[in-house]
Amino acid sequence: MLSSGRTHLRSHRGVNALIPLLLLAAFSLAPLVYANHAVIFQMMAFMVLAQGVNLLYGFTGYLPFGYVGFFGIGAYGMGIGIELFHLPGLAALLVGALFAVVIALILSPLLRLSGAYFAISSLAASEVLYNIVANPALTHITNGPYGESLVQSYHPLTSYVAMVVLLVLTTVLVIVIKNTPFGRALLAIREDPVSAEMAGIAVVRTRTTVWILSALIGGLTGAIFGWHLSVFYPSTVFDLSISILAIVFTLFGGGGTAIGPILGSVVLYGLYNAIGISAPQYFELIYGLLIVLLVLFLPGGVVSLLQRRGSYVP
Amino acid sequence: MNSRKHSAMIVGLSAAMLAGTLAGCGTSTSAAPPTKNISDITIGTLYAGSGAYATSSLPEYAGLKFWASQADKSGGVFVKALNKKVPIKIVAYNDQSSATTATSLYSQLISVNHVNVLVADFGSVLTSVAVPVAEENKMVLFDQSGTGTTFFTPNNPYIVLTSLPNSGLWPDSLAQYLIGQHYSRVAILYDTNDFDQSQEQTLVSKLKAAGITPVYNSGVPTSTSSYSVLLNNISHANPQAVIEFGYPNNDISFLQALKASGAQYKMVFTVFPGQLPTLFTTSDGPSSINNIYTYPAPPLISHAHVNYGMNSSQFIAAYKKATGQSTNFLNIAGYNTGLIIQKTLETANSLSQLSLRHAVSRFSGTIETLDGKFQINSEGAQTGETLPVGKFTTNSAGKVSVDLLTPLS
Amino acid sequence: MLEYSIVAGILFGVFFGFMALGLNLIFGVMQVVNLAHGDFVVLGGYLAVIAYSAGHINPVVSLVGAFVLFFVIAFALYFPVIPRLTRSKDPEMLSLILFFGLSQIIEALDVIGFGNNPRSLPLAIMGAAPWHFLGQSYQMAWVITAIVSLVMIGATYLFLYYTRIGYAARAIMGSREEAAASGLPVAQTSAIIFGVGIGLAAMAGVLSPFMIGSVDPSTGLGLTTIAFAIVVIGSLGNPLGSVLGGLVYGVSVMLMQTYFSSWSDLVPYLLLLIIVLAKPSGLLGKGVRNA
Repeated sequence: MLSSGRTHLRSHRGVNALIPLLLLAAFSLAPLVYANHAVIFQMMAFMVLAQGVNLLYGFTGYLPFGYVGFFGIGAYGMGIGIELFHLPGLAALLVGALFAVVIALILSPLLRLSGAYFAISSLAASEVLYNIVANPALTHITNGPYGESLVQSYHPLTSYVAMVVLLVLTTVLVIVIKNTPFGRALLAIREDPVSAEMAGIAVVRTRTTVWILSALIGGLTGAIFGWHLSVFYPSTVFDLSISILAIVFTLFGGGGTAIGPILGSVVLYGLYNAIGISAPQYFELIYGLLIVLLVLFLPGGVVSLLQRRGSYVP
Repeated sequence: MNSRKHSAMIVGLSAAMLAGTLAGCGTSTSAAPPTKNISDITIGTLYAGSGAYATSSLPEYAGLKFWASQADKSGGVFVKALNKKVPIKIVAYNDQSSATTATSLYSQLISVNHVNVLVADFGSVLTSVAVPVAEENKMVLFDQSGTGTTFFTPNNPYIVLTSLPNSGLWPDSLAQYLIGQHYSRVAILYDTNDFDQSQEQTLVSKLKAAGITPVYNSGVPTSTSSYSVLLNNISHANPQAVIEFGYPNNDISFLQALKASGAQYKMVFTVFPGQLPTLFTTSDGPSSINNIYTYPAPPLISHAHVNYGMNSSQFIAAYKKATGQSTNFLNIAGYNTGLIIQKTLETANSLSQLSLRHAVSRFSGTIETLDGKFQINSEGAQTGETLPVGKFTTNSAGKVSVDLLTPLS
Repeated sequence: MLEYSIVAGILFGVFFGFMALGLNLIFGVMQVVNLAHGDFVVLGGYLAVIAYSAGHINPVVSLVGAFVLFFVIAFALYFPVIPRLTRSKDPEMLSLILFFGLSQIIEALDVIGFGNNPRSLPLAIMGAAPWHFLGQSYQMAWVITAIVSLVMIGATYLFLYYTRIGYAARAIMGSREEAAASGLPVAQTSAIIFGVGIGLAAMAGVLSPFMIGSVDPSTGLGLTTIAFAIVVIGSLGNPLGSVLGGLVYGVSVMLMQTYFSSWSDLVPYLLLLIIVLAKPSGLLGKGVRNA
C-alpha cells in the first residue's frame, strides 16, 4: 500500500514539479504581456487563498467560511508592523503571518465543531475580528474606522514578487502534503475520523497543524495584499466576498488536488473580470447562476471529470 | 501510461487557459497615444451598480454622464493644450461596491484604456484604493466625494477633491450655529466610520472650545438599523439639540424611530436629508423631515454668484429634460466634477498629468459653480463648497423648503 | 434606561426569533443552510412596501399574501434543487455555496426590479399612539410586530406538534434514515417544510421595515448571519429555541447599545461563538448535534 504510494509519487514527480514551475514562469512573464498588473496580482492572491481553503476543505472537510478573517488580520498585521513598529515591508509581512497564526491558535477549539456549525462559526469569528479591528477604541493601534495608509512603504514590484513567491511555495506545500503520508492521514480523517484515530493517526494534532498552515497562508496573502493596496479600510480586507470567491474557485476546480484551485481561479477569476468589464450590469446575476449550476451539475469540480475516468490528477 | 498522458494534458490545458485568460483580457501594452492627434478626451471612472454604495454612486455617475453629454452637444470641451474643441468619451466599469474589484478596474482604466482623466467612484471606501494606484501611475485622481482623512498628504500631488469639502470640515457651520443658539445640552450619536466619526471629532472639539461638553455622545456601528433604545437613552440626557451623523439608511431609521418615540427637541440634525430629500419623503412621507435640521446642499440651496457652468435652476431644468429625472445633490456633485475637469482642460498647457494638476491649483479659488466656490489646499483637499446649516419645512402637499440658518459662503 | 432596554430588547428579540424560524426549520429537516434566507426576508419587505404604496394594503394583510406567494415559489424551487443537492457527497457544505449563488441572483433581481434605494414604510400605519408600560412608552409598531411574530411562532409550534406533516418533520429532524425506514414521506415533507420555511421568512420580511427601518438589496446577508446565530443560540429544530435565541439576541443588543454602543455589532457573533464552544447543542438542545 505504502510502496505503491511511493511509486505513484515517483511516477508523477515530473507532472508535480511542472505545476509550480509553470506558475512561476507564467506570473513572472504575465506583467510583460498584460498591462493590468492589478488583475494578475489579484488572480495570484485568489489562487493562494483558494489553495489555503483547499488545504483545509479539500483535505479535512472543514469549510472555512470566515477564511477572510485570516486575510484581514494579516493585512492589519502588515499595517501595524509598518505604522506602529516602523518595520520595512518584508519584515512587516512576518507580523501579519504571526497575527494570523496566533488567531488560528485562539480559534482552534472551533475544530471541535462539524459541518455547517464550523462554517458559520468561522464566519462569526471573522466578523468578531472585523468589529474589533474597526472599533474606535483601537484607533491608536489599527487607526480604527479611518483605515490604514501604508503609502510610505508602498512598493508594488516587491509586493508582486512576494506574491509570486508565496504562490509557488503554497503550491509546492499542497503537492507535498498531497503526496506524503501526512496528506493520506488527512484524507483518512476526512473520510472517517473515528477509524483514523483507531488506525493510530493523531487526529487532533494533524487537524490543528493543517488549520494553522491554512491560517498562515491566508495571513501572508492578506499581508501582501494589504501592502499592495496600501490604503484600505477594515471593510475592504474583511470583505466576506473574498472568502466566498476563494471557496467557489476551489470548488469549481476541485478540492483535495493541487491543480483544482489553480484551474478554478484562472477560469473563474478570468471570467469574473471578463463579465465585469463587458457586461457589468448583469454581473451578479450571471455569477449567481454560475454558482448554482456549478453546485448542481459539477459538485466535485472540473477535476472530477478526469478523476472519474481514472486519470491521475496532481 | 494513460494516466500520465492525462495529467500532462491537464497541465497543458491549464497553461493554455492561463495564457488565454491573460490574453483574453486584452493585450495592449502600447504606451499612451501621442497627445497631438488626440480625437477625444477619455475619462475613466467606476460606479457601483449594486451593493452598499449604489444608492449614492449611481446618481453621481449620472451627473458626470450628463455633463459629458452636455459638453458633447456643443462639440466637446475646449482643450488648451490642443487649441481646439474635443469631444468627451467616458469609459466606466461597475465595481459593485467592492473595493477589491475597484482596484483592478482602476488599474484597467489606467494601464489598458489609457484614459486621459481618472475619476474616482463615490465615497471614501471606493476611492481609497485608487489613491496609491493613481500616485504610482502618476495620474491625477479627480476624487469626487472620497473625503477620507488619509488620502491627502503633502508629498502626493496626484489627487484633487472636487465636489465636497473634507468631512472633517462639514460641522464648522453646525458648531457655529449650536454655539450661537447657546445650546448647552447637545447629544451626539454617530456611526463609527471615517465619514461620520471625523465629523463627530470636529464638532466635539469646536464645542469644547466654546465650553460645551456634549451631554450624550455615543458611536454605533454603521450597520445599526434600530434606534429606539438609543433614542430613549438620549432622552434621559435631556438634550436641547440632538445631532445624528450617519449614512442615508441610518438617517432614515433614526428619523422614523424619533417620530415614533414622540420625543420633542428644540433641534434635531441629520446629514442626508439635505442631500437626498426625496429618499426621505418617498419612504416615510414629507412629514418625516419636517423641522429637521441638516446641511442643505444644492439644489435645495442655490449659490448666487455662479460664474462657471449652469446655475441650479438651469441645471434642474436641463437635467429633467435630458434624463426625465429630478435632481438630487449627487447629480450635481457628478456634474460639478465634470465642470472641474472641463476647466482643467481649458487651463492646462499640456495634457500631462502634472500639468493638469498645476492647472487646478491655478484656477482654485477663482471659479464658483452651482456647488459653490471651488478651492483646494496644497494637498488637493477641498476647502471651499462649505455646507451651511438649514432647517426643513414641509407641508402636507409634499412641498419641501429649507431655511438657511448660517450664511452661504 | 435598563428597563427600557430590556423591554425593547424583548420586543425586538421576538421579531428576530420569528425571522430566524424558517432557517431553523429548513436546516433541521434538510441539513441545508439557506444562505439566501435574508434575501427572502428582504423580498417580503419589498412586497409589503409595494403593496402599501401601490394599493394601500395594510402590511397585516400582506402577511398572508407573502406566505402564500413564497410558499408556492419555494415549493417549485424545491424539486429541481434540493433532491439533487442532498444526493451529493457533502450536501451541507455545498448548500452554503449553492444558496450563496441564489442570494446573489435574488440581490441582482432586487436591483433590477426595485432599484438600490432603501425602501421603508411609515411606522404610523401600525398606530401612532405609543404603548405605555411600566412608566415608559414604546412605539406601537414594535408592539404589534412582536405580537404578530408571537402568534406566528405559536402557529408554527402547533403545526409541528399537532399535524401529520409536522410530526413527520420532527421525525426527520431526529433522524432522516429512521424516518424514511418507518415509512414517513420524507421527500414530500421536506418540500412542504422548505415552502413553509421560506414563506415564514417572507412574512418576517413584511414586518421587517418596522423593526430595521428600511430594506435594500444588500440587507439580506446580514440578516442571514444574525438568523443563523439565533438558530444556534437557541437550538436546532425547536421553534421555542428560536424564540429564546431571539430574546437573548434582542436583549443583549439593546443592553450593548445602552452601555457599550460601538460594540453592539459584535453581539450575535460573540454569542454564537460562546454558545457553540460552551454548549454546542444550543440553549434548549438535547444533544441533537454531533459536534
